[in-house]
Amino acid sequence: MDSQYEVLSPWAEADPVLLRGITPRVTDLSGKKIGLFANSKQATIPIMAVLEKKMVERFPDSEITRYTASEQYRTLQMEGKNRSRFEEWVNEVDTVVAAVGD
Amino acid sequence: MYEAISIEEMNKPVVVLCNEGFTSDARSAASSRGLPEVRVVTETIPCECSVIEQAEAGISAAMDAIVAAMTRPLTAEEKSPRTEVEKPSRIIFKGDPEDVNRFFYRRGWTDGFPIIPPTEAAVARMLAGTDLPANHEVARIIPRLGKATIEKIAINAVMAGALPTYLPVLIAGVQILMGPDSSFGGWEVSTGSWAPFWIINGPIRHQLRINSGSGVLSPGNIANATIGRAMGLIIKNIGGARQGIEDMGVMGNPMKYTAVIAENEETSPWEPLHVEHGFKKEDSTITVFSPNSYYQVIAYSTEDKGILSTIIYNLGPGRRDGDTCIMLNTDHARALAAGGWKKKEITKFITEHAYVPFSHHPYYWGSHVRESTQKLFPVNPHDNILLVPDPNRLRLVVTGGPGNFMAIVRGSANEFITRKIELPANWDELVMKYKDMVPAHARY
Repeated sequence: MDSQYEVLSPWAEADPVLLRGITPRVTDLSGKKIGLFANSKQATIPIMAVLEKKMVERFPDSEITRYTASEQYRTLQMEGKNRSRFEEWVNEVDTVVAAVGD
Repeated sequence: MYEAISIEEMNKPVVVLCNEGFTSDARSAASSRGLPEVRVVTETIPCECSVIEQAEAGISAAMDAIVAAMTRPLTAEEKSPRTEVEKPSRIIFKGDPEDVNRFFYRRGWTDGFPIIPPTEAAVARMLAGTDLPANHEVARIIPRLGKATIEKIAINAVMAGALPTYLPVLIAGVQILMGPDSSFGGWEVSTGSWAPFWIINGPIRHQLRINSGSGVLSPGNIANATIGRAMGLIIKNIGGARQGIEDMGVMGNPMKYTAVIAENEETSPWEPLHVEHGFKKEDSTITVFSPNSYYQVIAYSTEDKGILSTIIYNLGPGRRDGDTCIMLNTDHARALAAGGWKKKEITKFITEHAYVPFSHHPYYWGSHVRESTQKLFPVNPHDNILLVPDPNRLRLVVTGGPGNFMAIVRGSANEFITRKIELPANWDELVMKYKDMVPAHARY
């Protein structure tokens, strides 16, 4: 008969994360200040340029404002010297589209 | 993704736009930060797109979905998510070795190879490799901030087939990855498939019989194989970086199975790597950087000019003027030394003479250009651009067996970090216990 082994789990514990709902949406985009966030990855630059153009075409009375992250890995926008610039930008907009990934 | 979550936490509605291949990654990141219902709109724009027409086509196709995600009222689930997160029990399974392996594989806890079942007894033996208590938390490993307790490190070490004497190396490895100088959080999940490459120095090389000779990166040596393998399992099972879900490596990288070498300090004509960087010769250290390419090239000749030419003409252009380890065997190192070359002079030579025409470099094509790299640009496409302008990005390591090959291991901007390995009080006794763990090859 093969030996039976009782084995321990390699999967680490992590502190439980409080689940939260997402922020309510604006009802429409007309007249709104729309933020376009790019995480500095190469593709986010042309993507946000195109998205801005299309937003302006579709919602001509909205204002579009862009934010491009200056660093990727070491300093996320919510930390360090970029924090206040980032917060100021977020506080000014009504809604955001964030381009992430590659 | 974390920036997008931060925006939600500032009570501004966010829609995340990402390539369709990254949806799992985005959702995993959002869930890990408590926002599983973040609205993600997928697009089909090629990654790292630099062609405006491709961006136009992709955004046109996704525009309606973007606007809808920005304005559609929240569902009940989006207002109050109820995602259940499993918390596995400590003793997770009972079965024979085959059943254990299949169970672990189905849970996504292996690297595809068979594992040693991590029983209480096996883990207890592994814990002899440290004086730290089993519940001591070494670090929390991103992205899921899993707690790297000594026990969890030991469990993954057992699975990898590591000996207890390797545990101090693994603990130091975890400390390096999560240390303040490390950009591990970026490279471990990157499309670049960067893999940790471990270089061992000091007396521990001999105590653990870590290979620094022939076939230094080939299979066959338990230390080289299982130290790297254990670190890979730790990254996966404690940090939660899993192939195709969080780890978005495009092609992957066989060095993610293991990439561990020791420096051949005894035959090298120069200072060993760790002494170059401020450690004492008698310190045992571990150095890591994160390459995604490894290639071998036969030296053009066995005298210094030929060896240096081999290096400078075989370095390829990359972004961010990547961290590079040149693996030189003893013959090549001695030939260079005989020509009067010291390590610093060699790295200076490489930085000054390894170049390509600007039009052969990714920067010419607009790939990942930054303000700092723009300063390096030549005026004309036919002018040369240096491949590794910063000598601090280069390391020379004497390793490998006799022959005329060298290896070039190339990374990005993932820095070399060296850390001293702390040893338990009973170290000498532990080393003696496993001193006979040496293969006895049959002669034929």
